[in-house]
Amino acid sequence: MPGNIILKNARVYDPRNKVDGEIADISMSDGKIVDKVEGKAKEIDVKGRVVMAGGVDMHSHIVGSKLGFGRSMCPEDHRNDPVPKTKVTRGGVGYTMPNSYVIGYRYSAMGYTTAIEPALPALKGLGSWEELEDVPNLDSGLLPLFCNSMITFNYVKEKDLSGLAGYIAWILRKVGGLGVKVVCPGGTYAWAHGSNVRELDTEVPDWGITPREIIRGLCQATEALGLPHTMHLHPLNLGRVGNVKTTMEHLDAIKDIKGHNGRKHICHLTHMSFETLGMFEDEKAKPDWKWVSSGGLEFADYVNKNDHFTVDMGQITFGPATTMTGDGPFQYTLYQMTKNKWANICVDVEMPGGAGVVPYYFDPKSPANAVQWTIPLEFALSVDDVWRVIMTTDHPNAGPFTKYPLVISWLMSKKQRDIWMEKLHKFATERSTLKDIDREWNLYEVAVSTRAAPAKIMGLSTKGHLGVGADADIAVYDLDPTKVDLADDPERIIKVFGQSYLTFMRGEQVAKKGIVGKTPHGKVWSVHPELNDALWDRTNKELEDMMNRWYAHSFYNYPVPARYREHMEEAIVVDSTGVAA
Amino acid sequence: MNQETQVFDHIVCPFCGCLCDDIRLEVEGNLITGNETGCAISKAKFTSHHEDRIRPTVRRGGEHVEVSLDEAIDRAVEILSSARRPLVYGLSSTENDAHREAYKIAETTGGIVDNTSSVCHGPTILGAQESGEAAGSLAEVKNRADTVIFWGSNPQFAHPRHISRYVRAQGEYIKDPKADRKIWVFDIRKTITANMADEFVRITPGKDLELIGAMRALARGHPLDVDEVGGVSIQKLTEIVEALKASKYGILFFGLGLTQSSGRHRNIDAAIRLVQDLNAFGKWNMMPMRGHFNVAGANKTSTWQTGYPFAVDYARGYPRYQPGEYTSVDVLARGETDAMLNIAADPAAHFPRQAVKHMATIPVINIDPKRNMTSLIAEVNIPTALAGIECDGAAVRMDGLPLYLKKVVDPPDGVLPDRDVLRMIHDKLTKVVG
Repeated sequence: MPGNIILKNARVYDPRNKVDGEIADISMSDGKIVDKVEGKAKEIDVKGRVVMAGGVDMHSHIVGSKLGFGRSMCPEDHRNDPVPKTKVTRGGVGYTMPNSYVIGYRYSAMGYTTAIEPALPALKGLGSWEELEDVPNLDSGLLPLFCNSMITFNYVKEKDLSGLAGYIAWILRKVGGLGVKVVCPGGTYAWAHGSNVRELDTEVPDWGITPREIIRGLCQATEALGLPHTMHLHPLNLGRVGNVKTTMEHLDAIKDIKGHNGRKHICHLTHMSFETLGMFEDEKAKPDWKWVSSGGLEFADYVNKNDHFTVDMGQITFGPATTMTGDGPFQYTLYQMTKNKWANICVDVEMPGGAGVVPYYFDPKSPANAVQWTIPLEFALSVDDVWRVIMTTDHPNAGPFTKYPLVISWLMSKKQRDIWMEKLHKFATERSTLKDIDREWNLYEVAVSTRAAPAKIMGLSTKGHLGVGADADIAVYDLDPTKVDLADDPERIIKVFGQSYLTFMRGEQVAKKGIVGKTPHGKVWSVHPELNDALWDRTNKELEDMMNRWYAHSFYNYPVPARYREHMEEAIVVDSTGVAA
Repeated sequence: MNQETQVFDHIVCPFCGCLCDDIRLEVEGNLITGNETGCAISKAKFTSHHEDRIRPTVRRGGEHVEVSLDEAIDRAVEILSSARRPLVYGLSSTENDAHREAYKIAETTGGIVDNTSSVCHGPTILGAQESGEAAGSLAEVKNRADTVIFWGSNPQFAHPRHISRYVRAQGEYIKDPKADRKIWVFDIRKTITANMADEFVRITPGKDLELIGAMRALARGHPLDVDEVGGVSIQKLTEIVEALKASKYGILFFGLGLTQSSGRHRNIDAAIRLVQDLNAFGKWNMMPMRGHFNVAGANKTSTWQTGYPFAVDYARGYPRYQPGEYTSVDVLARGETDAMLNIAADPAAHFPRQAVKHMATIPVINIDPKRNMTSLIAEVNIPTALAGIECDGAAVRMDGLPLYLKKVVDPPDGVLPDRDVLRMIHDKLTKVVG
């Protein structure tokens, strides 16, 4: 157990507790933030440096079969980024798909302490838990996919909300999931027929139900169960010019659903950069890339007027990326467009379609990529409430998480945006309003978007803040903000956020000046919804029947055994006994 | 059935890449006495698990001398710590946790770690590195496939329940698997699988690449000015391609007849491209018919822990990948490696002569439950428990599905799982070389 530590003279940015750059001491004891330590404590004078809670990444592909597939098929991705072993750390490789150890080290070196894997094919849960064993220095969690499963479709078709809730609860408990992920609802299923579904009211093949019914059902079931994290949505029609309309239709379609216990937010829309593409206003315009424009401002306007969801950015960074989604048909379209190598992984959601992987290079000179880059920035800088805007790159889809410092520099510095816009295709200025936006995020807003808000959205009450009782996950950054005008010095922003001065994980110092010195294993967060006995029994019976009929392995071999979980798992117990059988 | 008989259900069979998970076992005392559901190979694997076991030995004066486990481990540590270029090999017939320890040993000793895919489906991985791969799943095959191809693969022999469980089985959208689903076999000889297939296409040996190239051309509508390719007439080939294009859901299963025949990874690259092209007409996927029960797992664990699926060298303190250079057969044939740690594989039986010849000149540490060719030439033998019978663990099915292997009986006295033996070796190694 780590002992007592006091960080003296910390300049604290802790938005959850409304602390905005005040000098204070932070005390840690037994891995928690405490008011006062009892007995002796090690004192570290951080001399007015910036102190925030450890970073929380709520959407980053850090484990799972599609990442493995991508790593295996792209040795060229790792070749130029070798990571030698040290006395305390394992050797490995980096770039867009680092090996498991290096993922943990690199997050830790940047002051991040939590990262959530947002696309778990539930039936491959065992493999992801095995991988998490080898991801050090991070707390994590897994979001199972529910959106293209025949079991979901069956309950949606029967309009059996309790059955659907029972299925979700069963999966979350049996494989250790943290919430409900939805990717291209119905469209990925259609991919098993070699087709896609792009609109909310198009019928899903074989089933006679629509994506509208699917997302409404899953959203209602999530709220009925009272899961801490809302439905995590990747909508239909991803990566298609003009799709900002489709995305707003999705959000309109669930707007009337009542949040559990009156909570406002009922959905998290992820990697908005790929689904808020506008179409340039011209009589000849049609939905192809030639006519792309930014939908960031239009979508920000929608966000400002509709307060039932949160959003993460999926910021495009330039250079190599590896696209990997549970959106099989989108990946095929991207393959046809780029002719890059293409992997399809259909076991992912077992029955239908599944995931795809296509390497991609975001090119500053590409008109489409230049516009894509502006979208999330235009959006983030136009939304009133930063608590609803989370900084991500949908690692490694829009770029690796190691580009976060660069993304922060774009958000904090108009000067930096102007420098970059110079290098980009002229569409960046012609097809977006970004050049006219002067807003610059301050450190408080950065702290909201990179730790306080994502922790809150994920339902991790001991993460993302520095209040008493929080896990002592802390990042100290080598910066005295009273002495530097960051907006005027974007390179400094990159340097500051690229390497923490100190990173603490549960009260233990794990990294210093970007060098990882300790490699403890974090917790894997899950939810454990308690159902009433009648619903639990019914769910087991029905799932045994459906899984044995539709799957190619046994219902009894579906759960992830305790021995792969219990030493890492932190289950949040949720009382869902109120859901009727 | 006497009173002491225990019955275990839903057991995963640790033999081939099918990982059938519907095995019902009867156990009396510490002996498996019955396996109703498994194929003949599965029955033999489970019911004779206690036969042919090795004991810990070291070689002294040319003789295998039985020693304690600790002595055998000490000798293994001595060999590995004094080696300049150790090779860690095998892994495909053990569970995933053992792999983790093997990679640690390779990293700590600055050695090479490679798995058996370098002599089976390595070319499949190289093909995917060139072109990607539209990978299939067995549940989708069962539920949807109307066209099933086995190319250079003979499942009736090597994966005996593959066809009955996934291909001739009824699925949600294939109600009559005989009428609604057509099986094609492409092979150089009429195998027992070809005998039960709906269509058999005989290929001239070594001509797979040309044949696939011609099929791609025809699928794309390019006329070919020849009478036949690879032993198949253009007329027949055109009919075949039209049938494949008309499929709603096709799957190409392929085996070593495609990966290890002339052309190797180029064959797979071409097959991948063919399947990708066919996606313009219907839904098409493919799947390598993985042999050893956890060779797919070895690729996966290697990939997340080292970044690369096989042929990994830690000589510089970080993983490097180069098939042809760091693949086991190549480092052995070049006489480059000076010690070998073999885990759950039998390279002495399967490697080319030149590689085995070098193996005979270097100290080989062999970790395996049973006697095999490698155990005969090994300097050190360390017996271990049979994964999926005498210890638990995870393994990966040929379509990437992870499954949990159960322990149903105890290993012989004093015999530990691979992972424990490897961990003991690594712990001692870190004290010497760490």
